[in-house]
Amino acid sequence: MGKIVAVHSYKGGTGKTIISTNLAVTLAKLGRKVCLMDLDFRAPSLSTLLNLNNVECWLNDYLNGVCEIDKVLIDLSARIGGQKNFFVGLANPSVEAIRDMSSKDRKWEMRALGRLLSLRNSLLNDRGFDYIVLDTSPGLQYSSINAIVAADLVVVASTLDNSDVEGTKRMLRDLYDLFEKKTEIILNKVMYGNALTSGRDKLQAMVKDIYGVPLLGVIPCFCDVSRAEGKIIFVHEKPEHPFTRIMGEMAAKIDKLQI
Amino acid sequence: MIELQKHGKREFELLTPEAPLDVMTLLSMPDHLRKTAMTVCRLGRATADEVAKQTRRARAVESAYLNQLVIMGYLKKERKGRKAYFYIDKEGQG
Repeated sequence: MGKIVAVHSYKGGTGKTIISTNLAVTLAKLGRKVCLMDLDFRAPSLSTLLNLNNVECWLNDYLNGVCEIDKVLIDLSARIGGQKNFFVGLANPSVEAIRDMSSKDRKWEMRALGRLLSLRNSLLNDRGFDYIVLDTSPGLQYSSINAIVAADLVVVASTLDNSDVEGTKRMLRDLYDLFEKKTEIILNKVMYGNALTSGRDKLQAMVKDIYGVPLLGVIPCFCDVSRAEGKIIFVHEKPEHPFTRIMGEMAAKIDKLQI
Repeated sequence: MIELQKHGKREFELLTPEAPLDVMTLLSMPDHLRKTAMTVCRLGRATADEVAKQTRRARAVESAYLNQLVIMGYLKKERKGRKAYFYIDKEGQG
């Protein structure tokens, strides 16, 4: 039985898109069949990151009930040297589509949740996907909370910025806990030089102390990742980089989790 | 006749108020009802027994919560023989 993983955060700019993309690709490279979905309808970014034009159907259309999920999924396995193991579903980045998605009412959001929940049957059970990775909008928005409700595991990206830490704590208490979601934290853009060596245990204890949930991993502030300017799939292009090793460890941990 | 139909429909709606079971509504619910409502969301359509198996609470307790959610307008109930099925009416709501 496959898993749905939602990557979420309190604030924007915490690295959700980079984490979800690279996590999805890493899981695919581990031999899993993975589908990455952009549920950040307010600021879609996967179509740009993956440089995809001429998209026939968007996730917007699937949630609007005007097309089936098969038409939305794009097979990008060849890009990561795989076969039928890496698919993406994109959010429409046009201003018109963003405006349309921002003005949906509660009934529409309820139906959208139903369609997200039905992906478990259509993709995980019927089409044999092992993972659906959902990239979400930051904060408490309908599309993000729908993704959280649909997910088996919520991976929360947080920096050590104080407002981010406090906001993430509130979300853990007032959102994930209420939905009884299994949650793991990724500390991103950590500036400590020893974050991966001697400081690791200290960070682990600190996260447990602050958030009360397990730490999935620590990603130091890598200039190389920023320098790539979101134009490449980092773990595929730079297999020897420490970032790729960290993503590998986190993917392996997720793969072992009993949910 | 049209007037009668309109009137009849309005009366029907008043008797069975429908409220969308969206995530914000789920968030604002008391814990015990949220658990039941979320289980129905996941299962799509379920009996009190099926919900109880998921929540690990007694069938009678789930039955009471499910009926409460029906009265609140969040769920629909349909009887088939001896079984009662609970589901979210996605089509009927606008």
